Amino acid sequence: MKSTKFIFTTLNLSKEFLESIFTLASKIEQNLENYSDKCKGKILATLFFEPSTRTMLSFESAMLRLGGSILGFSSAKTSSLAKGETIADTLRMINGYADIAVIRHFLEGVGEIAKKYSSIPVISGGTGTQAHPTQAMLDLYTIKNAFGTIDGLKVALMGDLKYGRTIPSLLYGLAKYENVTVYLVSPKELKIRNHVRQRLKDFNLKFYEIDDVSQIIDELDVLYVTRIQKERFPDQLDYERLKSSYKISPSTLKDTKKSFILLHPLPRVDEITPEVDDLGCAKYFEQAKNGVYVRMAIILKLLGVE
Amino acid sequence: METVKEKKLIVTKIKEGTVIDRIPPGKAMKVLHVLGINENYPYTVALAMRVKSKKMQLKDIVKIKGKMLTPEESQKLSLIAPNAVVNIINDYKVEKKIVLEIPEQVSEIIRCLNPNCVTNNREPVSPIFSVVSKEPLILRCKYCDRLLEGQNLSEQL
Repeated sequence: MKSTKFIFTTLNLSKEFLESIFTLASKIEQNLENYSDKCKGKILATLFFEPSTRTMLSFESAMLRLGGSILGFSSAKTSSLAKGETIADTLRMINGYADIAVIRHFLEGVGEIAKKYSSIPVISGGTGTQAHPTQAMLDLYTIKNAFGTIDGLKVALMGDLKYGRTIPSLLYGLAKYENVTVYLVSPKELKIRNHVRQRLKDFNLKFYEIDDVSQIIDELDVLYVTRIQKERFPDQLDYERLKSSYKISPSTLKDTKKSFILLHPLPRVDEITPEVDDLGCAKYFEQAKNGVYVRMAIILKLLGVE
Repeated sequence: METVKEKKLIVTKIKEGTVIDRIPPGKAMKVLHVLGINENYPYTVALAMRVKSKKMQLKDIVKIKGKMLTPEESQKLSLIAPNAVVNIINDYKVEKKIVLEIPEQVSEIIRCLNPNCVTNNREPVSPIFSVVSKEPLILRCKYCDRLLEGQNLSEQL
C-alpha cells in the first residue's frame, strides 16, 4: 500500500486504507494504554482558521493519548492570516515546528496547497463545504462497529446535504463499499450539489433523493442526521417550515429495524429531540468518542508509527 | 464551379501566419476574440463563415497573417473549436498541420467560479481543471472539485 501523507478527501482513499484505519482504531480502543508513548517527542500542530469544538479537542486528545505534544491556534484572528499570510506560507513555516498538522480552513482546495508546500503529513480538520474526511472515517467506524460490516447496508443522510461538509466525505467513503444503498433526504433547497451527484454516479453508488424520511424509515440500517442551518435560508419562514419537518423524535423512529442506529456529527440544535438520547439506537455520543480512536489511528498511520 | 470561385476569392494565400480551418460554423468571431485579434491588428485577417465543407457540411475559416499560436491559445481554441485544423504557414506553404483536440486537463486559461476556491484567494496556485465531458464540455476544478459547464464556462471562452 502506498503510504498516505495527506488526508483531505475520502475520494482517493481505498477501502483497504479505510479498513486498516478501522482495525488499528479498534485495537487502540481495546487497549488504550499500549499506545500511550507511541508519539513521544512528536508534535501535532492544530491550525484551526475556523471555530471547532469536537474536531480540535479530539485531535488534541488523540495526540496527548499517544504521548505526543500539541501546539496551534483556534481562530483566524489570532493567526497570521489576520496579517494576510497565505496558507502556503503558514504550512511551510509549520514544517519547522511540528511533525504532523491538522488544518481547518474555510477555503476549498487546501489539500492541493498542502501537497505542494508541506513536507510533513497534513490532515483536513474540515475544508469549507468541500470535505471533512476524518469525520467521515469516524462515522464509518461507528457504523462498522454496530454491524460488523458496511457492505450491503441501507443508509439515509438527512438534513442540509448541500452545505454540510461531512456529507460528501461520508458519501465517497460509503461508495467504497459493496452494495450500499443511500437515501438522500432533504428539502429541495438543500439537495446535494451537482458536482457531488456526478461523483456518486461515477462511483456507481446506488442513491435515491427523497424529501420524506418516513417513506423509508422501516428499511434503514443507519440514519445520519445533519443540522439545517438557519443562515442558509434567505426567507426565515421557509426555515421554520422545514425545520419542523426534519426533526427526529421517538415517534419518527417507532417503525425502525431492531438493529437500526441513529448518527449525527454534532452539534445538534433542534433536529433530534432530547428524548431520543435514551433510545438504544442513539449512537451520536459514542460516535463523538470514536473520533479520538480513529484520529489516533490516523496520526499513527501518517507518521508511520504502528 | 461557383464554389471554387468563391473559395478562391476568400482564401488568398498568405506568406506567413496561421490558417484555422474546420471551425464549427458560426464560431469564427469567437476564435478571433480568443486570439485577441481585433480592429487594431496590423496585418491581413480573412474570415469566412458558413462555407460549404465536404466533412462538416458547413464550416468557418480564419486566416491570420503574421500570427503564431501560443500553447495557451491552442488550448483555449480547442475548447471552443474542437477538431479544428491549425495550419502553420511559412513562405506560402503549410509547414505544420495540427488537429485541435480537447486536452484531458486544462490549466491557467480558465478561472474557477467558486469564490472560496484557493485559486481565487492569493494562494500561489493556478487554476487546473480536468475534463469530465467533452460533449457537452464540462470541467472539474482540481482544487475545490466544483464543476464548470454551460454558460458559466462559455462566458470565459
